[in-house]
Amino acid sequence: MSDTPHRLRDRVERRALTALTAATVAVLVIVFYYPVGTVLIEAIVVDGRLTLAVFTNLLQDPFYVGEFARLFTGEGPVAVARAFAAPDRRLGIVGFTAYQAVLSTIVSVALGLPAAYILARFEFPGRQTLRSVTILPFVLPSIMVAVGFVATFGRNGTLNAVLSAVGMPRVELMFTLEAILIAHAFYNAPLVARVTTAAWESVDASAVETARSLGAGPLRAFVDVVAPQLYPAVLTSAALTFVFTFGTFPIVLALGGFELATVEVFVYRLARDLQYAEAAALAIVELTIALGVLFAYLRYEAATAVAARRVRPRPRKSLWPDAWTPRALFERAGIVTYAGIAAVVFLAPIVSMLLASVTTADGSLTLDHYRFLLTRQQTGAAFQVRPWPAVRNSVLFAGASALVALPMGVVVAVITTRASRGRSLVGAVAMAPFAVSGILVGLGLLRGLVFGVEVAGWRIAVAGSAAIVAAHAVAGYPFVVRTVAPGLASLDASLVESARALGASRARALFDIELPLVWPGVVAGAAFAVAISMGEFTATVVLATGADAYTMPVAIERFIGRRLGPATAMGVVLLVVTGFSFLVIERLGGEVHDY
Amino acid sequence: MDDVTTPARRHSRRRFLALSGAAGVAGLAGCSAERVDEGASGDAGGESNGTDDAGETNTTEDTGDEQPTLTVATYGAFVDAPSVSPGAWLKETFESRVDATIEWATPDNELNYYLERAASGASIDADLYVGLTTEDLVRADSELDDDLFAEAGEVDGTDAIRDGLRFDPFDRAVPFDTGYVSLVYDGTETTAPETFEGLLDDEHQGALIAQNPGSSSTGRSFLLHTIHRFGEGASDDGGGYGGGGDETIEGTDGDPTYDYLDYWADLQANDVRVLGSWEDAYTAWSNGEAPMVVSYSTDQVFAADAGEDLERHQIRFLNDEAYATPEGMAVFADADEPALAREFMSFLLEPTVQGEIAKRNVAFPATTTAALPDDYASLAQEPATPVTFGYDELQGSLDGWITDWERQVAGN
Repeated sequence: MSDTPHRLRDRVERRALTALTAATVAVLVIVFYYPVGTVLIEAIVVDGRLTLAVFTNLLQDPFYVGEFARLFTGEGPVAVARAFAAPDRRLGIVGFTAYQAVLSTIVSVALGLPAAYILARFEFPGRQTLRSVTILPFVLPSIMVAVGFVATFGRNGTLNAVLSAVGMPRVELMFTLEAILIAHAFYNAPLVARVTTAAWESVDASAVETARSLGAGPLRAFVDVVAPQLYPAVLTSAALTFVFTFGTFPIVLALGGFELATVEVFVYRLARDLQYAEAAALAIVELTIALGVLFAYLRYEAATAVAARRVRPRPRKSLWPDAWTPRALFERAGIVTYAGIAAVVFLAPIVSMLLASVTTADGSLTLDHYRFLLTRQQTGAAFQVRPWPAVRNSVLFAGASALVALPMGVVVAVITTRASRGRSLVGAVAMAPFAVSGILVGLGLLRGLVFGVEVAGWRIAVAGSAAIVAAHAVAGYPFVVRTVAPGLASLDASLVESARALGASRARALFDIELPLVWPGVVAGAAFAVAISMGEFTATVVLATGADAYTMPVAIERFIGRRLGPATAMGVVLLVVTGFSFLVIERLGGEVHDY
Repeated sequence: MDDVTTPARRHSRRRFLALSGAAGVAGLAGCSAERVDEGASGDAGGESNGTDDAGETNTTEDTGDEQPTLTVATYGAFVDAPSVSPGAWLKETFESRVDATIEWATPDNELNYYLERAASGASIDADLYVGLTTEDLVRADSELDDDLFAEAGEVDGTDAIRDGLRFDPFDRAVPFDTGYVSLVYDGTETTAPETFEGLLDDEHQGALIAQNPGSSSTGRSFLLHTIHRFGEGASDDGGGYGGGGDETIEGTDGDPTYDYLDYWADLQANDVRVLGSWEDAYTAWSNGEAPMVVSYSTDQVFAADAGEDLERHQIRFLNDEAYATPEGMAVFADADEPALAREFMSFLLEPTVQGEIAKRNVAFPATTTAALPDDYASLAQEPATPVTFGYDELQGSLDGWITDWERQVAGN
């Protein structure tokens, strides 16, 4: 009698992974693949007929694909190579978009890695808080970043004021490719830092100590022991950065200008003017390239996974060294330099935004913009957007969607790390929510969910809070996959095998053995899922039925006027609420972890 | 392994995970429950069914003899702008006179939302749309086989509409206000040129910020203004996508060999900045990145309201012209309350209401009889010659004009 609950639990456990997999697939199909499919199919079905004409036109158009168009107009690869070698080569919009994404990735990795090193290897007051709020930039709407960037890097910005104060020449950064690269680094270097920090913290101390005791110098130990465990994280974040910056949209036009327009700019324009066939074809080209990069990366990850057992974390170094050896001096000089750069790239734009929220047009201090938020809260009509419901909804949606995204991401991570065949392909397809044009996702949700499907005389529609949570979870879960999968892949498979041999279900082995070993990755994934939800705009406005399901980014957009004060004040609220949420996640995750 | 995971630690972690799993399942259940719920409330036919997906306030059953509900679709800023917007005043005033309730619907993608609904076979769920532009109508007509809007029919006050504002040749849309896209410049930094050609002078190098016509309506208006001025299709590059219409637009510059693309090539040579949205452009301009920006001729109204130095907010009408952007309203063809919708349209054309809309939407009235404060014209400036393209001119041409422009400006 008394063992019935146990048996029940046993049976539930044995089917838990299967059930979670089924639920994950269902959510993905309903709020992603089906809606997006309704839009993408327009590229090949025009007026009810199957055609490749739209694609052919696109691929033969040098405006979009540059010299590659030659390939599709009958010229050979040699001719293409020769055309690219010529001084007047054309990259095309797609080529330029890839080019700036590669540069953005390099800059983001270069600015993110030092931060990961400092956060993972040093101990200093406020380290945990700093680590928690690393990915804050992720949630900022582009108009807020534009405000911060103009105030920091503009002709009359902080940077130029500082430069001329110390007698250095002023810089003209606005409306250049450099401005876009810095903005992309502002968004993505924190991603590189956060993901890599999690991996660095998982490096086993004894492995390094063993290497050192066998006579390896610090550099040798790093290259042979530490670096191989970091590559997956660095490459993960680099691949994601490429994909994000490849699909970049409003920030490019805000800080660069139309001369630097990317693919997504044209997807937006075509969709806005209802030229869906062309928009979908362009989005499919965009998607193919982004998924191609992810696929290539996943193939690499699969081929190079190193088995590691995390036993004990390494002790952190103090920022203030015990002895000022040349090496310690060198390291600290590097840290100080990096801190200076980080202050300009990450801190200054955010501080400028804070300042913009408390200054008037003529530069004097004011609390009017915050007073606006209070007034709007108190006297706003029911059909107007008010700050408090926006905050409340954002927090609820972020919490709920993280709780949905975590199991989804873990399940997909398990499948893609343990499946023997096609795992890279499944892994790449699972990343699709990152790679599909956000504009078309919004359109798909509108058609596929909000308007509903007619089934036997009934129009079945999905919208409202639950749909928003699901959409946010779908948008965020790939992060969980990417922060958990590399760790899972590097775990010794014999751990799971011995647990299973001892009678543990697959789910139990996962919960009790694998997840604890990759816990930093799980917490990082949760933080990203929350960040995605907090910053999400497109799906939210589409799915928010009624005036009571809007979130903070929606409120920011509504509060944008001729003066950006009210919107920046709301932006600061977004930053504060999100920052606090990150702290809660890390505390919660950390407490469980360090219990 | 035991030293890694003590039982206690394992337990608490398990609870954390179990919690997240359970919440995940609950989330999914909520999702499907919602679906059943909404599906169940829908009518079998194509009639409006009370589900509101367009940002409406609350769902009311508009059946029976109760007070009717008029659902007015419009753009967000019309009811909810950080400074002023006419929505609340209009709702209150109309409801105090007529036994009806107004519900605002402000979908994020504006008219496209209703085009999508119509194309998907979903019911429109709104009675009229307020804030139509000429190109909205062109787009709706070319996209849909059936008419999205009905003819205006009996609307009082249309006789008072100013000349040249009626932009719908099929008399569906009735204009209720208009704006003008012009240059705004900082008089302490520069003096804007008086002509389009003047913008090409060396002294104005890098001095103008415009917007992408593909993503910004001010940018689109400015592009159209240059087409109006310089004409289209004169250049001999041959690869043009433009000119879908039967007739080519001749510019008013009197030079048939110089078209808008030539002008834009010269503008580019003089370092014009083309940013994505009006907000991007205005932010950059406010921070002194350039002294001139493409914006609205009502800029001083806002500036005076915020107590700013008007010298920094000067208006320039190039060649004494500005591109007019009349806004119209029209009844949806399958409106539930067409009579009430027409009553609302008549209401919007009343002299006092016209004055209030102009003030609260910071625009110009559509009628000659609007009641406006005397000093309104001193801050809100109108050009000597408003220019605009009509429905017939835009139809079939607009996309080509924009595509050609895009291909010239973003030639990577």
